[in-house]
Amino acid sequence: MSSKDANPQAGQGILMPKKETDLFRAVVKQYECKQYKKGLKAADTVLKKFPNHGKRDEAINMVKLGLMHDMRSHVCWHVYGLIYRSERNYNEAIKAYKQALRIDKENIQIMKDLALLQIQMRDLAGFAQTQHQILELKPNLKVSWLAFALGKHMKGDGKGAIAIIDTFLSTLENGSVDLQKSYETSELALYKNSIIAENGNWKEALDHLHECKKKDILVDQLSYLKLSGYYQLQLKLYNLAKESFFNLLERGSTEDYSVHTGYMLSILNIDGEVSRTMLKRKGARALSSMLVLSNDQQKTLKEAYQNVLIERFPKSIATKRIMLTLFNVDSEDWNTSVNAYIRASLIRGVPSLGDDLSSFFIIPATSSNKNEYAIAKDAVDVKSHVAYKSIAALVDTVIASLESTSMFPGDDDVQPPSTLLWTWYLRSVLYEKAGDYSNAIAVVDKGLDQTPTGVDLYELKARLLKSAGDINAAVKCVDTGRELDKQDRYINNQTTKYLLQANKEVEALETIALFARHESDPEQNIFDMQVTWYELELAACLARKGYFGKMAVEKHFEDIHEDQFDFHSYCIRKVTLRAYVDVLRWEDSLWGQDTYVKAAEGVIHTYLHLHDNPSEHVNGSEPDYSSMTAAERKKAKAIARKKKLKAEKKAADSAKDEEKEDTKNKNVKQKTKDDDPDGQELLSKPPLEEAKKYASTLVKNAPKCLTTWLCQYDVCSRRGKAMLALQALFRAKSLEDSSGSMDSEVFKRIVDFHLHVKLADGSHTAVEEVFGSEKVNLLGTSSKTLSDFISEWQEKVKASPLCNLSLRVEVAKAMIKCNVGTCSDASNLIVCKGLDIRGVSLQSCLEAINTLKSINGAEKQAQEFAALAKSVYSLSSNF
Amino acid sequence: MKREIVIDFGGITNDNVEQLRIINSTSLPISYADGFYKDVVKAKNESLNKYAYHNGFVIGSICCRIQDESKIYIMTLGVLPSYRGRNVGTKLVQSVVDYAISEEVRSKGVQEILLHVQIDNEDAIKFYQRLGFEKGEMVENYYKRIDPPHCYILRKKL
Repeated sequence: MSSKDANPQAGQGILMPKKETDLFRAVVKQYECKQYKKGLKAADTVLKKFPNHGKRDEAINMVKLGLMHDMRSHVCWHVYGLIYRSERNYNEAIKAYKQALRIDKENIQIMKDLALLQIQMRDLAGFAQTQHQILELKPNLKVSWLAFALGKHMKGDGKGAIAIIDTFLSTLENGSVDLQKSYETSELALYKNSIIAENGNWKEALDHLHECKKKDILVDQLSYLKLSGYYQLQLKLYNLAKESFFNLLERGSTEDYSVHTGYMLSILNIDGEVSRTMLKRKGARALSSMLVLSNDQQKTLKEAYQNVLIERFPKSIATKRIMLTLFNVDSEDWNTSVNAYIRASLIRGVPSLGDDLSSFFIIPATSSNKNEYAIAKDAVDVKSHVAYKSIAALVDTVIASLESTSMFPGDDDVQPPSTLLWTWYLRSVLYEKAGDYSNAIAVVDKGLDQTPTGVDLYELKARLLKSAGDINAAVKCVDTGRELDKQDRYINNQTTKYLLQANKEVEALETIALFARHESDPEQNIFDMQVTWYELELAACLARKGYFGKMAVEKHFEDIHEDQFDFHSYCIRKVTLRAYVDVLRWEDSLWGQDTYVKAAEGVIHTYLHLHDNPSEHVNGSEPDYSSMTAAERKKAKAIARKKKLKAEKKAADSAKDEEKEDTKNKNVKQKTKDDDPDGQELLSKPPLEEAKKYASTLVKNAPKCLTTWLCQYDVCSRRGKAMLALQALFRAKSLEDSSGSMDSEVFKRIVDFHLHVKLADGSHTAVEEVFGSEKVNLLGTSSKTLSDFISEWQEKVKASPLCNLSLRVEVAKAMIKCNVGTCSDASNLIVCKGLDIRGVSLQSCLEAINTLKSINGAEKQAQEFAALAKSVYSLSSNF
Repeated sequence: MKREIVIDFGGITNDNVEQLRIINSTSLPISYADGFYKDVVKAKNESLNKYAYHNGFVIGSICCRIQDESKIYIMTLGVLPSYRGRNVGTKLVQSVVDYAISEEVRSKGVQEILLHVQIDNEDAIKFYQRLGFEKGEMVENYYKRIDPPHCYILRKKL
């Protein structure tokens, strides 16, 4: 880099004098840290001397000017890259960095920046390569080794990663801090262990784990035991596994259901795929309530729990709870235990008891795995479930006894009024689960009469009113509850949600603003906090009102994606590599998260609606809602955020200093301004094109989600892409098929496809042939024509007494449309089982009634059905 | 047979004052104006204005104020109907009495606790007499909207 040119400003790769170079480095560093003021000041100093050095504050033009003067200045290229990076144009930034590195081959700072972007963009091979270079330059830094190992690992080269970690460890001298027992040493060892286990090398992983244990470098005993148990199970070392899991229980993990699951798997000698899926499950569902067990297996578990665990851990609620699931429902043991369990919870006052108990209402899973159980959600399944009947009867006895004597049946302890209150509450929730809203409301009213100050009761009653069809009464009720305790954020949010569902967006904003930070515009605050449920509800609310001021920039998602930057260097420095890898993998699935799918679905439907009704958006853009739509456009995801926060917590066990950095950064972060509050700009884009973009994001990121393929079909069929539409339906069907039933939405689209979607004229004959045959294949193995298909499903629906209402309606509609069967065949299909079927909701009932009304000669049936619906949704004004 | 229940006390604030309205409307014959509730919140004195909680629910309340610097005046006392007969009212009044005889209050010269009670409300009169209150003079036409409009003053010397 030495040149004899005397004019420094003319360029030719001339270095600035040392002082300025240092200053410049400081600028770059300050820019990195977002200390713009300081940076600017320093930059000015440099600029005074070297005015042609481009600087970020004057943005790209200046840099380009700088580059014009000196194509070979790595500094300019570096800054150029930094500017692109700040614009989130990472690909260009990477190019610029690479250019800079070509000039200055050994510039660590640029390499680090490059590596950062490469991992962000998941250029994993490039990342590994860059880290390798850094390592060669700085082999004395632990971080260099770890980052390189991580690069190899992410690239899929687990062996390479392990080799690097081993090499690193071998460079350490005896007695080095990095070999002693410490958090970092332990994490690194466990990280290595997780890579070993990734390829199913259980034996090796277990040996390595024991070796570490022997060396006494592990501080995370919980992980040690959990992993040991896991590997031992996979290796069929059941007794050892049992010991490991029992040790965990002894250490205090008695409320961790996955530990119980591990223990049960060991006792039952279950390994392999089943054990792995079981252990992956989160939450309070242990093996005993998930897996279909034989009588012998059940007996084995019962003995283990009754004879060992209950005695050893008498205070553990999880243990008691699992015990309950091991009895046959309605057996004497079951009745006694459930009775005791419910009484204890009623005395304590547990609002979630109803939900807790509803996990006993298990039915064989209909979907993927026939060996597992699912929790019955549909009212018709709950109502007829033996556990439901038994519990409901039990609770009724308790109520009768408490109402007359204030004592539990067969007990002589006088209970306080709150016990009765919670019993009513539980009964009401049980009625709700069985879809009996009138009785549910009657019972919760007893509670309100007794304790009109009970906030929980208002919340429950509001939910029931809403279910029974009167959203306005629900709003009033939940708002009364909110007034009682204005510090209760939950009921405040609940009120906001109901207000939005009642199309009262102005009041909703006022309500949620009560809990927003006051100093700024509450809407801005809501956006900053990524309150995605609010934004989703608001979007739905405005869409109902016919304002299509367009929504959903995936802004929050971008932010979350962006937040990764915080971890890239931090996690490696702190050696929390296991958690970091989790975060990276989670981020990779970001755009497949449920809330994103929901948001995208909303956007696609809105765009398609605009496409189908091009005149409407003129009406939709009245100025009076300009204050509202700002938030509407910013949906996405709180769950994502929450999960992310969890990961953050894990990643940063000593997160304090990180938080400090974070807040520093955030203070400087500019406020995002909404340049297009009405969404006018977004509206002016061609709707179908926009919808297509979102659909392809879904296809790419959420291929296992039915919504994805339904959306994809809706978009493709309108775009005249017959083959893609066909493919979408096949994918949708394949997600459904295993269950042997069909989603009404899929059915509807298959019919629509056969009636309306044609190949473009002039398609290749080969394409036409494939299309023709696949089109028939779509109908399934036993049907050749659409009419066959419809009558096949007519028979299937008839043969399945609980069949979903929506599917009944769709099949009936198709029968009418395609002249399959008679009108009365079609209407009978809808009404023949009354409402004792699955999928009954206010919405599906309305759809059924409207369909009946449109069928010749079914007026009377429509009336009767409406009367039936009215008995369930007694408060709805729709019938 | 009813039995005593466990209660806790808690303050009355702007965030939960609506519950006081509920208690008063279920227990008292007259309705109080907004000003009454504002004053209670403003007083910020948990010893004079408080809720009785049972298992997390507000079930009763007592509101008092200092009068003429030497008296504590009980403005309202109420317990939800379903929770009566369990000594909740007694505990509420007793807690105010305990406060009134504390060193801190005595030293300020507080000498008695008093209240008004409608002349035909025998239950209330008996209730307070059990707690050591004595029937004092009758005030005619004290109440405007309820019948009978007369009341007694009940006092307890400290």
